[in-house]
Amino acid sequence: MKRETRIALLGLLVPLGIVILWQIAALLQKTPLFPGPGKVVVAIWDNYPVILHQLGITLRRASAGFAVAVVTMIPLGIFLGRVRVVGKVLEPLMDMLATLPPPAIIPLVMLFAGTGDWAKIVIIAYAAAVPLLMNSYEASHSINPMLSRVAKSLHLSRLETMRLIDWPSSLPMIATGARLAIASSLLVSVTSEMLLSTNGIGTYLQRSQENFRIDAGLAGIAFISLAGVLVNAGVFRLEKKWLFWHYRDQRPAE
Amino acid sequence: MTALLSTSAVGKHYGSGAARMPIIDGLELSIAKGEFVSLVGPSGCGKTTLLMCLAGLLAPSEGQVRFNGQLVTAPPIGLSVVFQDYSRSLLPWKSNLDNVLFGMRRVQLSGPEKRARAVEILAAVGLSGFEAHYPWQVSGGMQQRVAIARGIAAQSQLLLLDEPLAAVDAQTRADMQDLLLDLAKRFNQTCVLVTHDVEEAVYMANRVLVLGPRPTKVVREVIVDLPMPRDQLATREDPAFLHARHEVMALIRGMRQGKALA
Ligand SMILES: Nc1ncnc2c1ncn2[C@@H]1O[C@H](COP(=O)(O)OP(=O)(O)OP(=O)(O)O)[C@@H](O)[C@H]1O
Ligand SMILES: [Mg+2]
Repeated sequence: MKRETRIALLGLLVPLGIVILWQIAALLQKTPLFPGPGKVVVAIWDNYPVILHQLGITLRRASAGFAVAVVTMIPLGIFLGRVRVVGKVLEPLMDMLATLPPPAIIPLVMLFAGTGDWAKIVIIAYAAAVPLLMNSYEASHSINPMLSRVAKSLHLSRLETMRLIDWPSSLPMIATGARLAIASSLLVSVTSEMLLSTNGIGTYLQRSQENFRIDAGLAGIAFISLAGVLVNAGVFRLEKKWLFWHYRDQRPAE
Repeated sequence: MTALLSTSAVGKHYGSGAARMPIIDGLELSIAKGEFVSLVGPSGCGKTTLLMCLAGLLAPSEGQVRFNGQLVTAPPIGLSVVFQDYSRSLLPWKSNLDNVLFGMRRVQLSGPEKRARAVEILAAVGLSGFEAHYPWQVSGGMQQRVAIARGIAAQSQLLLLDEPLAAVDAQTRADMQDLLLDLAKRFNQTCVLVTHDVEEAVYMANRVLVLGPRPTKVVREVIVDLPMPRDQLATREDPAFLHARHEVMALIRGMRQGKALA
């Protein structure tokens, strides 16, 4: 057997082993507060329509917040990177916002926007905004000066330079920001639902716990991780397709 | 003969105050249409800085640069540069062919004609079969030839070349020298070539301008009185070639020793 195949098999054996140990431990405990994998599978089967529905609500909100951040923060970041003075003035503010954990603004947002959809979207957008803003800002003022010279010597207009040189060369760093922003959006959308309980997968987890349905809660968690894996795989494919020239033959750093 | 490119008392310094570093001081040169002029000088004397000033990519601190009689304040139309930092001057998200086409944005040809011309130029620099490759997929010497192809493809009146063959291997180098001379003649291009290689400077040029140590200026003009087209064997054995080479080499060695003594 090849070395890689063996390592891959071992990688599958580890979770399998954990599941077996978990099942044994659950059988020994015999309490609904510690369901085994068998119970969780049953819970998944029983609850998947509800879970998928709630997860859909969460993902839609996460996407809306993320989209708002993308269309506002990438242009703003590039603008601040290009217009040095404004960027320099706002740098301390950006640094302060960057270190503030996004859920910290939840009470403040509740005060102005209540606990509905819009409040959550605002919080998610804020969480996604920080990495997008910081990375587009960094990217646009660290463009290789040789390429700016090339642009000038080929008489590109300002707009052409932005479109043909600045945008592609900033893209890898912006993509890294986007990856962080996606993770952040998912995290904060679930968190905000747990705090501002109305609907969504976060609320579902919260309710399951309150009703001592730990098995249903674990089923929800399984779907969240699955969604995370799928989203990551999608992002990875897009990066491979658009930024192959940046990653060359290596895979993008996760 | 009217000058295509000329400077009057060009000076350039970097930094200010205590960190002020003069690079060029009172530099005068004049290049006529159709000439092939080589610039040689000690390493770090300011050749690249000078070329950037000539290209309108850096503003001189003093004096003026004129191209076709017009004051140069931005890169003028009709002037192209092949940068010393070739690998970073190519666009990594474009294929070699697209990089060359990118240099042809101002060329008045239809799309397919441009494409055919770009393919032809890539073939001339020995890169047939590498059109679809990306610059980072080919060797340093090949990247440098892509950069040269992009410079040539623009079909400018004046081509500024900053050590364009530094990364090219010795065999290809001789071919590329002849190719550059041939293309310059075919497209009626005037060329200014910066090089470290004195033999190359003399072999390619009608005139060699020797630059002094920093802050640099032209310290000697050596006319190369050899017929065109040049020939890798015959030219290099010609007494006039050997004489010019000797003169330039002696000057540069003198500068280096002067520096060692100081
Ligand atoms: N942007 C800059 N700021 C400050 N100093 C610079 C800058 N660019 C170049 N220099 C300095 O100016 C001097 C001349 O640089 P330049 O690149 O023009 O020399 P060169 O003759 O082309 O060198 P080489 O033979 O190595 O190509 C060097 O000492 C360099 O350190
Ligand atoms: Mg140089």
